[in-house]
Amino acid sequence: MPRAAFLDLARPSRRHWLGNLLLAPAVLLIGLIIVYPLFVSVDLSFQNVNIARLDQARRPFTTANYERLFASEDFWNACWVTFKLVIIVSTGCFLLGMATALLVNNRFKGQALARLLVALPWAVPEVIAVVIFAWLFDSSFGLMNWIFIKLGLVDTTINWFSSPSASFAVVCVVMIWKGYPFVSIMLLAGLQSIPEDFYNAARVDGASAWQRLLNITIPSLMPVLGVTLVLVMLWVFRDFSIIYVLTGGGPLKATQSLSIMTYEQAFGFFKMGYASAIGVITLIVCIIASRLMIARAPDTM
Amino acid sequence: MFLSAAAVALALTAGFASSTALAQGKVLKFVSWQKDERGVGDWWGSVIKEFEATHPGVKIEWTKVERGAYADTMTTLFAGGKPPDIVHLASFEFQKFADNGWLEPLDGYIKDAKLDMKGWAGQDTCVFNKQIVCTMMLYFGYFLAYNEEMLRKEGLEVPKNYAEFLVAARKLTKDLNGDGIIDQFGTGHETKGGGGQYMSEMMNYTLDAGGRWSNDAGKVTIDTPEMVEGLSRWKTIVKDSLTPRDLAAGEVRQMFADGKIALKTDGPWLWPIIQKGKAKDQIKLAMSPFSPPVGGSSNVLGIASDIPKDNKKLVWDFIQIATSDKFQSSYATLGASPPPSPRADVSAASKETPHFDLLVQATKAAADAKVDRIPKGLELVFNEFAKMVMEESQRMIIQDLDPKIVAATMQRKAEALQKQ
Repeated sequence: MPRAAFLDLARPSRRHWLGNLLLAPAVLLIGLIIVYPLFVSVDLSFQNVNIARLDQARRPFTTANYERLFASEDFWNACWVTFKLVIIVSTGCFLLGMATALLVNNRFKGQALARLLVALPWAVPEVIAVVIFAWLFDSSFGLMNWIFIKLGLVDTTINWFSSPSASFAVVCVVMIWKGYPFVSIMLLAGLQSIPEDFYNAARVDGASAWQRLLNITIPSLMPVLGVTLVLVMLWVFRDFSIIYVLTGGGPLKATQSLSIMTYEQAFGFFKMGYASAIGVITLIVCIIASRLMIARAPDTM
Repeated sequence: MFLSAAAVALALTAGFASSTALAQGKVLKFVSWQKDERGVGDWWGSVIKEFEATHPGVKIEWTKVERGAYADTMTTLFAGGKPPDIVHLASFEFQKFADNGWLEPLDGYIKDAKLDMKGWAGQDTCVFNKQIVCTMMLYFGYFLAYNEEMLRKEGLEVPKNYAEFLVAARKLTKDLNGDGIIDQFGTGHETKGGGGQYMSEMMNYTLDAGGRWSNDAGKVTIDTPEMVEGLSRWKTIVKDSLTPRDLAAGEVRQMFADGKIALKTDGPWLWPIIQKGKAKDQIKLAMSPFSPPVGGSSNVLGIASDIPKDNKKLVWDFIQIATSDKFQSSYATLGASPPPSPRADVSAASKETPHFDLLVQATKAAADAKVDRIPKGLELVFNEFAKMVMEESQRMIIQDLDPKIVAATMQRKAEALQKQ
């Protein structure tokens, strides 16, 4: 076969080659930056290794990291904290996001400004937002304590970050504040895709606003709600910076999620093998959760 | 002085001549968190300048990494097989690197260069598995900084022991406008953030009560009456809100400098912050009321074991410059801090910095009492140990636990960490 004909990618039998060739850099890149580190991480989780080094010989295979992990109170505590965060923050984000989306979907004077304000927390860099909240909730000189005392709700300052329940509540508040605009924007886009005719027909049939919400708005939003729910839950599941900057996982591990625990074991205690095991478990939980939710989303239509 | 400096420069130049010939066009990597620090950063700059002047053709690539991300960055560099040639680490984190065999033993270099490290403050910390793997670059002692005007208003003398300190701290903690919020605190400690700093703050009280985390043989000694007393003192200070809560060290220092805290024990780095604060003219310094004062090693310099032999020789030349009498003397002047070398001439620093003699006295008191933040026998698990101490202390305060029970729990957990 002549060489030129072999390389002729315009030939119908060679066209798929061109497609593969064009996809190759992306596949290679994904392999390098996602698959390879993932493989290394899984491999490390089965080795008793403190500070990992890529050019060193592989240590013997062991399941000790997983055995230690499942026997560790800290791990189950981190799972419980993460679970609570996912439920509370996702619910909060959805309620607030839905409410604000419905609000700014209406036509009123200042609608554009309202939309901007709703989206603003999403635009503020996470670390800056957290530092601002840290000062708002500062135990000695924070605005929240001042407001609570002025309103007569408390007679002495609350040590927000010294109390396990208070610090958990502060973390939830900050995560909801930071996360609800995403839900709001997604739902607003969904709301705007619902034909106005549906509502007009319902009004003619005498449906109340509540009935229109339950029977038209929410069912029409279900595909968007499903995807948004998965994305928000995954964001809460893996979020690191809000908790790390605000509480560092404390006090008494009250805010130590799986991501904080992974970081602490890897870069605080230099236990890369153990940290990898936590990372692998987190990944498995995320895959199962997202698979379940994405698979269910279309059925709800 | 001039003659001795010139002699040192000549000796260093002669010593470096052979390695210079081999090192044309080389670049040595040096990563540090102190690059932009006023004083100390300038000093490192002067060491680099001297090195490059005495090693033509060799450049030092000096990169700054923030302290908060430093351990992560260094771990990543070493793990990726691309360590910096000149290794700069905090004294509480180098052990993990040494344990992996990533730091070159320096015994041979020290012996060949006849470097006299006798009396070098904190140098014992650099001995790992019976080998010297680094040179100590800073050992500090805490002093007391106080707001003279606040003390005068209350008719208080400068406290000289814990009892007087507690009385003063109580009197100086005040709600000035009656709104239910404390506006002025007796003292200030970091109670948020890393375990290492939390432990250092507690040590003001535990050391004064005679307690130590471990003894010279590395045996954990937390469950002792002295430590129980120290923990009780810490509980009193924090639980009675004599210190603002949940603030990081930098925030507490700024509050003190701005006149919202009356008494603060701290190291030499507090002085530049005071100079920029609103209460600058009201603040005076004295010896710490706690005996021995908190002290400790701060940062170390070493050679990466994985770099080419020629580079190792050049890094050792760099270390020799940094540890030379000339540069240890200039460290005192530029860094406004006592250098670890006992041979450093600090007369110029004493003239320039009014409280320099006090810093020297505080450092000496801490060094004589062999105080260090890193407990013997717990070096390799220091971060975990410090975290455990912080959490159990927080539990003691939050759940109002008996310090005796807390000391027993800490003892048990520390022993378990040692056996890991």
